[in-house]
Amino acid sequence: MPDDHALNSSVRSATVVTGGTYELPVYPFTEPAELRGERLRHPVVIVGAGLTGLTAACDCALRGIPAVVLDEDDTVGVRGAASRGICYAQKSLEIYKRLGILDRMLAKGIQWSVGRTFAGDDEVYSFDLKKMQTHSVSEQPPFINLQQFYLEWFLVERIYELGLVDLRWKNRLIEIAQSDDHVVLTVTTPSGPYTLEASWVIDCCGAHSVIRDKLGVQVTGSKIPDRWCISDVRFEREPPAERWTWIEAPFNENRAVWQHLMADRVWRLDYQMPADADPEAISRPEVVADRLRRQFGPDVKYELVWVGPYAYRSLCMDTFRVGRVLFAGDAAHVMSPFGARGGNSGIQDADNLVWKLALVLEGKAPERLLDSYAVERREAALDNIRITNRTTRFLSPPTAVEKRFRDAVISLAREFPFARGFVNTGRLSSPTRYRQSPIAAGEHAGVHVQNVALTLPNGARGDLVELLQWCDHAVLGFLYVDLDGYLARELEGLEQRYPVRFFCVQTEEGRTCTFPTVIDDEGKLTGQLHAAPGAVALVRPDLYLAGTLDEPSAADLERALRKLLAIE
Amino acid sequence: MKTTLQTQLKIGDPDGFYEKLLDAHRGLSDEQCAQFDARLILLLANQVGDDRVLAECIEAAARPFARAAR
Repeated sequence: MPDDHALNSSVRSATVVTGGTYELPVYPFTEPAELRGERLRHPVVIVGAGLTGLTAACDCALRGIPAVVLDEDDTVGVRGAASRGICYAQKSLEIYKRLGILDRMLAKGIQWSVGRTFAGDDEVYSFDLKKMQTHSVSEQPPFINLQQFYLEWFLVERIYELGLVDLRWKNRLIEIAQSDDHVVLTVTTPSGPYTLEASWVIDCCGAHSVIRDKLGVQVTGSKIPDRWCISDVRFEREPPAERWTWIEAPFNENRAVWQHLMADRVWRLDYQMPADADPEAISRPEVVADRLRRQFGPDVKYELVWVGPYAYRSLCMDTFRVGRVLFAGDAAHVMSPFGARGGNSGIQDADNLVWKLALVLEGKAPERLLDSYAVERREAALDNIRITNRTTRFLSPPTAVEKRFRDAVISLAREFPFARGFVNTGRLSSPTRYRQSPIAAGEHAGVHVQNVALTLPNGARGDLVELLQWCDHAVLGFLYVDLDGYLARELEGLEQRYPVRFFCVQTEEGRTCTFPTVIDDEGKLTGQLHAAPGAVALVRPDLYLAGTLDEPSAADLERALRKLLAIE
Repeated sequence: MKTTLQTQLKIGDPDGFYEKLLDAHRGLSDEQCAQFDARLILLLANQVGDDRVLAECIEAAARPFARAAR
């Protein structure tokens, strides 16, 4: 909505149109150089300007990769104002802090703390996140609610601001073929077709990827007989700003209903429908109105922003890398929406991939480093699919026995706090630990490192993400060792040969050190790194622990770095 | 892996417990019995509280049906 005055200011040549009751930017089609007969080889071509593609593109821009983005549409969101994802979890917020759009997300998005779960006419239980013990040490909140297209909008504007990546709107991929050292893509545009070349392609085309089909790549999936219908509405008289979940809603024939708030005072109401419901019939305005009246009373006054029926599948590619094509987001994996794992995992795919791609393009790591992307993110996808399938099973019990156990859980949850742990209306996306990583370089490898507060080398209060920005997104080496002159010289040698920057970690100001010093006065960093005195911890640019080494020699550290970079 | 499943009797008054268990089912329909059992299983499981022991209990209980289920 136009009430965010900053939103339109930096859109280059974009006009704003009304789609539904949202106003969305429209980006201009510009004839690419290839249409003038040039044949160019681009380092990276990203196909699809959805959440995953734009996140990857923005990261490319920050790392100095002049990527090309192809998108068949000319706006944000899918088919105009179709709101897809609505919830962005902590790891995504940490990533967007690094990419430079977090402040806008926080300003526009909604944070809620009170959640209520209902079954039948009564509340089963409620919780207030503000009063619950949290294990989070991150500087970012646990999540925010925001319509996906806003996030895409912020990303597009950030990419234009960074100025390196070429966003090509109204460019639709129709053919793709690859050889040993490059990929050839054929694209149609309003000015006719053209061909371009890429060293690497990231497929962010979504669940119905053409690239997958063209390359004849296998996907394994299963259909889930569960159908839902979204109604995004604005009320004249708003419900309380809380997240309400019905496992069995009496006003929806005892099927599930979700009610939560997004930006612009738009509420997302998501209704579970009969598995065999006709998607067209359940989304007619009069049918939507009827559902709203049954839920909010006969006099409810509202403005319908968007209606979207959907079913879902779970689907995962057998491999996320096929030669020079890397698959990310929904193109690589699809799951049910519970726990917001689809969008958040696509964002993390991009975060995992782009630093590796940058090192490969700079010649600092061999191409096989990209295999670690495929392994790690496939492990995460399977983890997410397993977790979302459990939620589906709770919300749509497929047999009488499973329904009976759910009834037992609900009845116990009314009385006993322990049983609330079994109530599974979605488990919010959290970073997967990479246990199968081929680039594990020490103890605790593959554990996510939260964005903790620190005192930066310049003495300012900051956090881990700011430290990454400060040293140009290198691998971070945190030193808990006593440095003698010999070791210091060896480590400086490593900094020259590998993309790593070392930091001394102190708990209070005082001693001087050869390397820039960070002060971990609350011990949050040290705790997450599992670092004892004498240790060195290597943290990857996507804020995962590459490994913690106990009293390593310079040679041990060099071996760890070479493992991390897939050099050997 | 060494089993952690308790295979020796730990309950002080087994006859008393067994009687209470049966009495609790008395007068319930088959469906109600099944609902009662589901509640009881979840309550007991939380008293056990050990993921590995619970997994072994499920496995042990399923043993007679293992062939039929495949």
